[in-house]
Amino acid sequence: MKREFCKILSNYEVADAVYKMVIESKSISKEALPGQFLHIKPSQNYDPLLRRPISICDLEQDKGRITLLYRVCGKGTSLFSGIKPGDYLDIMGPLGKGFPIFENKRTSIIGGGIGVAPLLYLSKRLKKADIYLGFKDEVYMIEEFMSCSDDIYIYTENGSRGSKGYPMEALEKNISFYDVVYACGPRKMLSAIKRLCEKNQVECYLSMEERMGCGIGACLVCACQSSNIEEYKKVCSDGPVFNSKEVSLDD
Amino acid sequence: MIDLSVYIGGKKLKNPVLVSSGTFGFAKEYANFYDLKLLGGIAVKGITLKPRKGNKPPRIMETPAGILNSVGLENPGLDGFLEKELPFLRKYDVPIIANISGNTIEEYSLMAEKLNEHVDFIELNVSCPNVKEGGITFGTKPESIYEVTKEVRKATNIPLIVKLSPNVTDISEMAMAAEKAGADCISLINTLMGMAIDIDNRKPFFHNIVAGLSGPAIKPIALRMVWQVAQKVNIPIIGMGGISNWRDAIEFIMAGADAISIGTANFYNPLAPVEILKGIEEYMIKNNINSPKEIKINGGVVYHE
Repeated sequence: MKREFCKILSNYEVADAVYKMVIESKSISKEALPGQFLHIKPSQNYDPLLRRPISICDLEQDKGRITLLYRVCGKGTSLFSGIKPGDYLDIMGPLGKGFPIFENKRTSIIGGGIGVAPLLYLSKRLKKADIYLGFKDEVYMIEEFMSCSDDIYIYTENGSRGSKGYPMEALEKNISFYDVVYACGPRKMLSAIKRLCEKNQVECYLSMEERMGCGIGACLVCACQSSNIEEYKKVCSDGPVFNSKEVSLDD
Repeated sequence: MIDLSVYIGGKKLKNPVLVSSGTFGFAKEYANFYDLKLLGGIAVKGITLKPRKGNKPPRIMETPAGILNSVGLENPGLDGFLEKELPFLRKYDVPIIANISGNTIEEYSLMAEKLNEHVDFIELNVSCPNVKEGGITFGTKPESIYEVTKEVRKATNIPLIVKLSPNVTDISEMAMAAEKAGADCISLINTLMGMAIDIDNRKPFFHNIVAGLSGPAIKPIALRMVWQVAQKVNIPIIGMGGISNWRDAIEFIMAGADAISIGTANFYNPLAPVEILKGIEEYMIKNNINSPKEIKINGGVVYHE
């Protein structure tokens, strides 16, 4: 884990308010695992003050490039969207625990909305996972996912692309084919996937999201209810990827 | 030849830059960024007699140049601290400040007694705004600060620091009560009580409704309070509250602090304490100042002409 100023190679909108940013860092790309994140300072001023945790979407180790996918939803990400190629960002990472890789198991990956971000590099590493992606209306990054797997299911809520509905519907039908499910997306979706996998005794890994402070496990603000009712887990350092049995998503 | 060391309760700190309780965990995380022995001291995450789960999330919200937090003293309890956390800290040649909170005076005393031979300083937390019992209930009346400090004083012979809450009318009265009861040092300020509302759902953002405000936004208030306390007590002061760079640190020393402590800055810049220490050192060299005390005296501020 390091803190460094990384050069931005490109940064552009791929869908409404969704941006793809490519940064350069040999050391981060060498170390990073699928599911880990970078903690990025949106500005060198005091407002906004904190770093923003952004998932690693993809990386090319030989070129020292890391791709990030983020949705503009506040002050920090809005500043990110204005970053120009050639600019530098203050970045810490890679941070957190990533997805465990099971190459010889029957795996599937399911992502909803901007939750697809941490799943692309995972798809590449797993090589032959089935992929289920859901979007509201506009789809993004699907060509990249298609290049990782022949079995890919695309859903949109309004049916504008792929099938109409939610990727959960397809996963539910096919759950018995899998040993492991990897998921990232809205909390309600993760909660449903957790239930589905546990009911069918399928191993399940969830990438969680929470507001963060330090990003390294010292400040205890990114708490997530542990399955042990007596304690919270730290999303930044115990996660962001958890075995579904480690956490409770019932609010 | 410059000498950065300062004394608190008769104990020498190799420099005046500390890190604040609750912003540094039990230091493990920051040991990945620099050698912890560079620090003047480490105030560990606030501990209670029994383990505490902490508050239900959300626990943080960013505000202009600051943060609101509602962690609620999540910690492994006194025994958990001694068994699981302290051995790591003891590998480093750096003074350890145990920050303690109790529900009763007896709990404070018991913890102080048990910690006595294991740590270098005890910091009484009478100022946490995020827990219902204990914490701040002791910290807003001079009589209760006097009571708890006096009892804990009997339970330990290592230097005793009392950490004050800014959520009072006159903080110097609290400081005087602590000094009178035998405290060796005052640290200030803890977070300011704040609040945020989720207007879309028409409810408070935090389950505890109120939360603690910290970061650069509170620095002018913290500085004013350090100055007020420095007018009234003769024991050393550890100044904190929004210190983000070495210039802020020098301001606090000029206002009357003997040492300074870095809190929220650790969250966005893990190297903040060492960068600030370097800045203080360079300032001293440039201005021909030999010790942090001289910043206060010779290089200090002339308040009245």
